[in-house]
Amino acid sequence: MSRFIVRRLLSVIPTFFIIVTLSFFLIRLAPGGPFSREKKIPPEIMANIMAKYHMDEPLLNQYFRYIGDVLKFDLGPSYRYKDHSVNDLLGAAFPVSIMLGTMALGVALLLGTLVGVTSALNQNKWQDYAAMSVAVLGISVPLFVIGPVLMLVFALQLKWLPTSGWINSRAGWKTVIMPIATLMMPYFAYIARLSRGSIIEVLRSDYVRTARAKGLKERVVIAKHVLKGGMLPIVTYLGPAFSGIIIGSLAVEQIFVIPGIGKIFVQSALNRDYTVIMGEVIVYSLILIAANFVVDILYGLLDPRISYK
Amino acid sequence: MPLLDKKTDKAVNEFNQYVKPVSLWADAWKRLRRNKMAVLGMWIVGAYLVVTFGASVLPFHSYTEQQMLHVNLPPSLKPAGVVALGEHEKRRVDLKEAIERSGRSDLKTDLERVDAEIIQLKGDMDVNPVHKRVYILGTDYLGRDMLARTIYGGQISIMIGLIGTLTAAFIGIVLGSLGGYLGGWVDNLIGRFVDLMYSLPYMLIVIIIMSMLPTGSNSIFVLYLAIAMISWLTISRVVRGQIISLKNSEFVEAAKSMGASSNRIIFRHLLPNSLGIIIIYSTLQFPSFIMNESFLSFLGLGVSAPQASWGTLVSEGVQGMQLYPWRLLVPAVAMTVFLFAMNFLGDGLRDALDPQSKNRS
Repeated sequence: MSRFIVRRLLSVIPTFFIIVTLSFFLIRLAPGGPFSREKKIPPEIMANIMAKYHMDEPLLNQYFRYIGDVLKFDLGPSYRYKDHSVNDLLGAAFPVSIMLGTMALGVALLLGTLVGVTSALNQNKWQDYAAMSVAVLGISVPLFVIGPVLMLVFALQLKWLPTSGWINSRAGWKTVIMPIATLMMPYFAYIARLSRGSIIEVLRSDYVRTARAKGLKERVVIAKHVLKGGMLPIVTYLGPAFSGIIIGSLAVEQIFVIPGIGKIFVQSALNRDYTVIMGEVIVYSLILIAANFVVDILYGLLDPRISYK
Repeated sequence: MPLLDKKTDKAVNEFNQYVKPVSLWADAWKRLRRNKMAVLGMWIVGAYLVVTFGASVLPFHSYTEQQMLHVNLPPSLKPAGVVALGEHEKRRVDLKEAIERSGRSDLKTDLERVDAEIIQLKGDMDVNPVHKRVYILGTDYLGRDMLARTIYGGQISIMIGLIGTLTAAFIGIVLGSLGGYLGGWVDNLIGRFVDLMYSLPYMLIVIIIMSMLPTGSNSIFVLYLAIAMISWLTISRVVRGQIISLKNSEFVEAAKSMGASSNRIIFRHLLPNSLGIIIIYSTLQFPSFIMNESFLSFLGLGVSAPQASWGTLVSEGVQGMQLYPWRLLVPAVAMTVFLFAMNFLGDGLRDALDPQSKNRS
């Protein structure tokens, strides 16, 4: 197991390196830059700016300088937000987004498996039909429709919940209810469908029949045998779900005015703030790599047939 | 010998009865038709396609024409002039009340403007044919017909989805079958590349592409390119798997032993047999294309004014949703119904073309 972890960690390094290199050159090769605006800047000033950010050097030098800085955990200054380093910008915004994403994924996982298991155990009864209708709804309706509609109903009409803000505002924890409900919807729906399918399959498997045959109580069969086997596809789905949920959080943050990465993300793309874009690429890919890593380990813990050599 | 002739075009089932041979497609069609939700989905999708792409010959209002007297009208079957007059008079009463009760003299200029507009409306009512129009779904903040805008937005959204799906399917088929058929280093190279692309969230690829292209380039094209770049991955993997399993089957071996060329084997045997699964994945991907496009447009990274897609319409609607909820609900419902129909159609096609996968997730 530990050898597997070490090998897996080592394989992360080249992937990460390729991602950073590819995105660095792709972004830099493009015409135009963070300082090209409608109004022409005098050439002397432009030269000064370029020199300040080392952008007058050959591209390869810039690349090695950047890699060196990244290894020292320094993502450089932002070109557009003066006096802010990329570390500051991302350091303030990413934790908010990640917190929102993790909470949403947690709720989706909990509710999703609950609904999935319930409908699998009551296959083709009304519970099943009701649950699966909700699931189709969750998959078909986009996040940016669910969010505003929830807001219209619960914040503007019923006035039960605040329209915007984050945990540190006056309304406190009430602010996160709607963002989480919005963000979890598609993943909740997908997890419900996934777990229903896999549990139905597990219920028909030989080892469950064996467990029943040796006289175990139905509750024990479900809790110990069916659930453990039925969870495997969901664990596999967690990696892509996590990456999807941080992307989805961009829209949710915009709807509910949450101080996460969403605004910086959109602005940096429109402004071509190179260092901020690179910083986002690096942090996002690290998060994803970490998420997939955790999923791989969880997988081994759940399925005894998988051995790590 | 009529009996023998009959035998040649009719197969025999296990009870020695003659049965008419049914092709895969006829069989799938029969199964699809039995699935009520899928049929409903097909009708809805068909209706959307007819309306959105026939919009230029159908009698809709223009989606760009702004009527400043018809701003933010609610959905109604009455002529626009009457609705607008009602709205103006309501606003006049509200303003008067606000001025009298809290003594807000700053609202006086607003009141004067509303009065002037009411007079203009009353005078125009019978002369100007514009006021005879009916806005079934209301108007937006510039007095444009919501129905026409939603249809036009659908046109762009569906177009991007359609072209994107076709491109993704094309790239996926070419690379997937190359990798699957040739194997070896080609397969490895494609496989590693797909893995790398999978490990990046698509939004990152989108912003990298957006920052690569010169400012002011056509944003619809960027969007389409970015989405197509990443969505061929799944199809290429599926096609690759299918080709590998077919490559080693007996009928391909038989074709090879008869001296069929690689080209013939790929185009005559392998691809037609993978077509079912390609169709399934493409239909399932189509709604996610539309969703991705609208998501980006919603964020402000996609389709930009004067063009509009469902995503931009929803994001415009969010801004005034407390006072004018129809501006949000009209495009949102239109889009949701289409995505619903597409999902049902996709699920139905999957069950019809690949009966073994039935009842799985």
